[in-house]
Amino acid sequence: MIKKKAHVVVIGGGILGTSIAYNLAKMGLRDIVLLERQYLNSGATGRCGAGIRQQWGTEMNCILSRESVRLFEHLEEELEYDHSIEFKQKGYLFVIYLEKELEQFKKNIALQNSLDIPSRLITPAEAKEIVPHLNTDRLLGATYCPTDGHANPFHVTQAYAKAAELLGTTIHTYTEVLGIDEEGDRVRGVRTDQGTISCDIVVNAAGGHAALIGNMVGIELPIYPERHQAMVSEPVNIFQNPMVISLYHHLYIQQAPHGPFIMGQGDPNEPKSFNIEPSWQFPLEVAKKVAEILPPLKDLKIVRQWAGLYDMSPDAQPILGESPEVQGFFTSAGFSGHGFMIAPYTSKLMAQAILGEEPEMHIDMLNYDRFASGKLILEPAVV
Amino acid sequence: MRIENHPILTFEKGPKVKFIFDGKEMEGFEGEPVAAALHAAGVRVLSHSQIHNRPRGFWCAIGNCSSCNMRIDGVPNVRSCVEPLKEGMTVETQKGKGDLNA
Repeated sequence: MIKKKAHVVVIGGGILGTSIAYNLAKMGLRDIVLLERQYLNSGATGRCGAGIRQQWGTEMNCILSRESVRLFEHLEEELEYDHSIEFKQKGYLFVIYLEKELEQFKKNIALQNSLDIPSRLITPAEAKEIVPHLNTDRLLGATYCPTDGHANPFHVTQAYAKAAELLGTTIHTYTEVLGIDEEGDRVRGVRTDQGTISCDIVVNAAGGHAALIGNMVGIELPIYPERHQAMVSEPVNIFQNPMVISLYHHLYIQQAPHGPFIMGQGDPNEPKSFNIEPSWQFPLEVAKKVAEILPPLKDLKIVRQWAGLYDMSPDAQPILGESPEVQGFFTSAGFSGHGFMIAPYTSKLMAQAILGEEPEMHIDMLNYDRFASGKLILEPAVV
Repeated sequence: MRIENHPILTFEKGPKVKFIFDGKEMEGFEGEPVAAALHAAGVRVLSHSQIHNRPRGFWCAIGNCSSCNMRIDGVPNVRSCVEPLKEGMTVETQKGKGDLNA
């Protein structure tokens, strides 16, 4: 039976929903319900490329990811998780092919270094020392940050969900939100296909579906869904330490700790849509590029291909905070493909904002009214 | 025993050819699955389980189960039960998950 009453209802059973519920519970809130339309991880989190990087081009993304890495380093202990979250720090190597890319990367590195992120610009020869099987033809240079890496999104979400439940959070899966009730300019409850929950605060962590949830309280969140595809190979013995990522090719390739290679590609012409059908073109296009950049990988066999939704925002930075129009309605979405890696710290800040405490870092500039005032800071480093 | 009539796969049994298995010269018929040639030659262990290193042999025989993954002509994780035998092939028992680069 669904709970009839809660202080906070969190919508979305991905990394953001579960980690926000956990942080609220950790701060003492015992009256939290998390709603998930399908099962935990069924959306973008369970379909993501599982990378964690701090090499970003905006101050906010840099800080959110740097602090999240610090939390990832001790997450198993903090959440008292029985398994490994498969966190590794073997770096991210950005390969650079164009002069204008190089200029942007130089700016990004200066920004990252000013924020204590240990990234650096390196030569093709140095890149080859880090990834010996890298094809350095046409390569102008690379950037490398040794503390970037990987974690298993399924385990991380599960760890947050279990920790939240131990602290009293109720999680209802297979429960779809149909509408949000308001009273005056406040939220009052959430209607679901399993019944209505009255509540004071609603947190919209619905990823690609966040705009639909916003519509339920009459606000227009500029978040739209965009299909991104990925595939994974058979496991082989470890021989590639860092994630290799090329903005020029819209491509990333990493070897997960138990051996398989995960690779994904963004399509600049991908239309806005909820489509998550994998395409037959994708493995062909990716295989061709991967065989060129990392030649030995041509012998890998692909065992699975899938697609998921990025929750895109106009400046590729998340939309965080309370709605100026509807009191008690908080949004944490629009992560534009990097929600998993910045979730640990973002969720902490969100919990502080929801409980009205002084936040460790101000996130006002990520509220969605930035789009009306035109204060956009465009993130340049997105695949 | 030699697989002559596979219940699912069809293959042309060609002339007798030589191949190398773990350094030893062996014989089989061109076009039959590598694992079929090994089986006929009395080889029962094709791979080892990844965590406990237990022996694994012929199992699904149709390229699904990965129990017969071997290193063939330097490529790891080749499903020997569906890979046609060719003259002069080098077939090796694979160590662990296989080295792509070795």
